[in-house]
Amino acid sequence: MSTLLRARDLAKLPVVTFGGEDVAQLKDIVYAGNGGQVTAFTLAGRSLFSGPLKVALAWSRVVGLGPDAVIVETQEHFAPLEAILADDGVEGGGSGHGDVLGSQVLTDTGTAIGVVSDVIIGVTTPGGLADVVGYEIKPAESLGRGEQPLLIPLPDTMSASGEHLVVPEAATGYLTDDLNAFGAAVDAFRTQIGENR
Amino acid sequence: MTLFSEAAGRQVVSTGNAATVGKIKTFIVDPTSQRVVGLRLSKTPNAGTVLPWPSIHSFGADAVTIADEDLIVEPDPQLAALDVKQHSIIGKQVLTTEGRKVGSVVDVDFDPADGRVVSLVLGDHSIDGTTFIGVGSYAVIVKA
Repeated sequence: MSTLLRARDLAKLPVVTFGGEDVAQLKDIVYAGNGGQVTAFTLAGRSLFSGPLKVALAWSRVVGLGPDAVIVETQEHFAPLEAILADDGVEGGGSGHGDVLGSQVLTDTGTAIGVVSDVIIGVTTPGGLADVVGYEIKPAESLGRGEQPLLIPLPDTMSASGEHLVVPEAATGYLTDDLNAFGAAVDAFRTQIGENR
Repeated sequence: MTLFSEAAGRQVVSTGNAATVGKIKTFIVDPTSQRVVGLRLSKTPNAGTVLPWPSIHSFGADAVTIADEDLIVEPDPQLAALDVKQHSIIGKQVLTTEGRKVGSVVDVDFDPADGRVVSLVLGDHSIDGTTFIGVGSYAVIVKA
């Protein structure tokens, strides 16, 4: 089963070891490649005045990521971010996240459907991936769907620049405002465009 | 099976001189072996307050029997490390390895024959003791 989470809700999530200690909390999400997958998390200390930690948490070391905590076996698995990215063969910081927020979403037929307000991550654990499966958007007026944020499924691969994100027209058929129903929408959409996992 | 809440306060009796040598105060649990490894006692006759599980003769319904009061000792470093507040289970939130909170521990059910943790009682439901992985200051961790 895959769990869907908003990237915004992940910030400050406690990192808890098998020993039941909260040893850190999530700070930022580091995406790999074109921003389609989570490769690591930067960390901050748990106490009020502790700043960012010098070590990060590789996705491959995450045992579980849920709404209440990130579970790791031990904090010994934390490593400097540079080392994690080198191991994963990721070049540079891969900070697709910051660039995506505020970008305009266009369909491949040229209709603007809204502006990205959050990233939806689908998690399959154990041993699975943390995949960017959709965006939460502030809908464009022309869409006629009101002002409530909507969720739009993404294909596994897509093109993005700092300015625009282009999604297949078919994705607009799966717009929903319900995160609980969104998993089915992503699966249905990816099946339709022929790239279901 | 016996609950911590039922067994707390039970008297500990020495079969050597038939004297009451203490009362169960708290349980010392080792998450690695998923067992009760010792009892912290109150009202003991000497300086020692910990009864290691292997020293128990019988964990009975009305009393815990031991051969001699000298078996109640100062905890060795390993027991002492488990017998601190951050390792106490009762009242702590329970997180699964999938990062989901499933409740808080209200009570623990254990097997008085061997100290095995049978289940963690979370109020409205119980969790199989074999899923118990660890306990620390933040949470009890169970396998999803």
